[in-house]
Amino acid sequence: MGLFADLRDSISAVTAKLFAGESEDPKRIGIYGPPNAGKTTLANRIARDWTGDAVGPESHIPHETRRARRKENVEIERDGHTVSIDIVDTPGVTTKVDYEEFLDHDMEKDEAVRRSREATEGVAEAMHWLREDVDGVIYVLDSTTDPFTQVNTMLIGIIESRDLPVLILANKTDLEDSKVQRIRNAFPQHETIELSALEGENMDEVYDRIAEKFG
Amino acid sequence: MPHQCTNCGHTFADGSKEMLSGCPECGGNKFQFHPSEVPDDAPDDATEEPPERPDTGVPSAVGKAAATVRDLVRDDTPVSDDATSPDDETPQTADAPETAGGPSPGAPSADDGNRDPPDATPGQSTGTDSEPDDGGDDDAEDAAQASARSEMVTADDLPERPPSEGRVVKEPDADADEPDMEALREELNEQFESIKVLAPGQYELNLMELYDREEYIIALQENGRYVIEVPETFAGSERREE
Ligand SMILES: Nc1nc2c(ncn2[C@@H]2O[C@H](COP(=O)(O)OP(=O)(O)OP(=O)(O)O)[C@@H](O)[C@H]2O)c(=O)[nH]1
Ligand SMILES: [Mg+2]
Repeated sequence: MGLFADLRDSISAVTAKLFAGESEDPKRIGIYGPPNAGKTTLANRIARDWTGDAVGPESHIPHETRRARRKENVEIERDGHTVSIDIVDTPGVTTKVDYEEFLDHDMEKDEAVRRSREATEGVAEAMHWLREDVDGVIYVLDSTTDPFTQVNTMLIGIIESRDLPVLILANKTDLEDSKVQRIRNAFPQHETIELSALEGENMDEVYDRIAEKFG
Repeated sequence: MPHQCTNCGHTFADGSKEMLSGCPECGGNKFQFHPSEVPDDAPDDATEEPPERPDTGVPSAVGKAAATVRDLVRDDTPVSDDATSPDDETPQTADAPETAGGPSPGAPSADDGNRDPPDATPGQSTGTDSEPDDGGDDDAEDAAQASARSEMVTADDLPERPPSEGRVVKEPDADADEPDMEALREELNEQFESIKVLAPGQYELNLMELYDREEYIIALQENGRYVIEVPETFAGSERREE
């Protein structure tokens, strides 16, 4: 009786593995990176491509995302099998938040101060998720900017120390001053994939790598 | 008393482990952080013992802490040469307990303005361009926070001290038995607040400490206060270390 149940359970566990995505818990993949890198643009593209919905608003003003947002059960199909992940779009991480930065964007001081406070809470939240709640990381960088920053070094360091699988995405390759090689040089120990999340360039490779890494 | 239960008002020394199992008075699991209510009785850094954290550039120090901690996290075997980096500002791991009276890690006791730029981060633009040395306020605040921090280490042994007692440096034998990685890691983290409010709407964040906290900051207020939430998994469960 018990033995039979055990056997049945282990058979279905094996079956579940064969058809990954059905009954296995999907891995939770955090989309991390500095503000304005294109995390939400990427999250929206992934979610739209595979679920039809969006995740959250994108903006050229930094710290648009101030709470982590999750999209569950995104099923990505690759070569006939399905990889199911939860994606978490996180607030951009930084070591300094200053409301004055937002004043240039036609914002009242009150609103800028509030945005700044929420952005700071957002960084705290993102760091908290990194500590407890993600099984893998997609690290998004704006390839037109210098990757050698303290934030990048520190986050990648933490990710490595937790042994999380990570993909580095060099975003915004549609822009003229995009320098993907600079990112490859900065993090030679990791796989770097170039893309334009905005234009949808090279998304096939992105999905291949996601399926490989997190499947 | 940097933390206060938002439910019943019970106060805790900062970092008190008590808190992690929920408020002993009412079982609440939300606490507010009050750095500014630490008695502000440290008149001037220069007059007494060396301050624990002169205002060296936080980002720079954090960068170093991160690098060190990264090594530590990755490798939990006992102290080895690569944990003690050649950089002379990293803590001496071998005799960590003795750092009590001497310079603390990343904080040379002579605050003569030698602030190292974040050496690992060329091109990074977040240097500390604020905090001139003349203003007494920031320094006093730092000293008060340092006081809060060191107080926390000995909070288990001490009853509440009257404010007039002033700052207490970490007792040398507080954890003298074994300078393990965990202790060093904690020591590094204790040096810095996770979020520093420079002015309303202007913040400096210590990513490493934010990452290391069990509890989760859910709402910031001005004056450096914030509401934190202790995860359910900690509230009511057994202490992590005895
Ligand atoms: N040219 C170009 N612009 C992009 C690309 N991806 C994102 N952007 C733009 O970059 C800006 C920031 O994009 P978001 O997706 O909001 O950036 P984020 O990383 O989520 O930013 P935070 O939420 O502030 O951390 C927006 O104006 C996007 O349209 C890209 O591939 N190419
Ligand atoms: Mg965003």
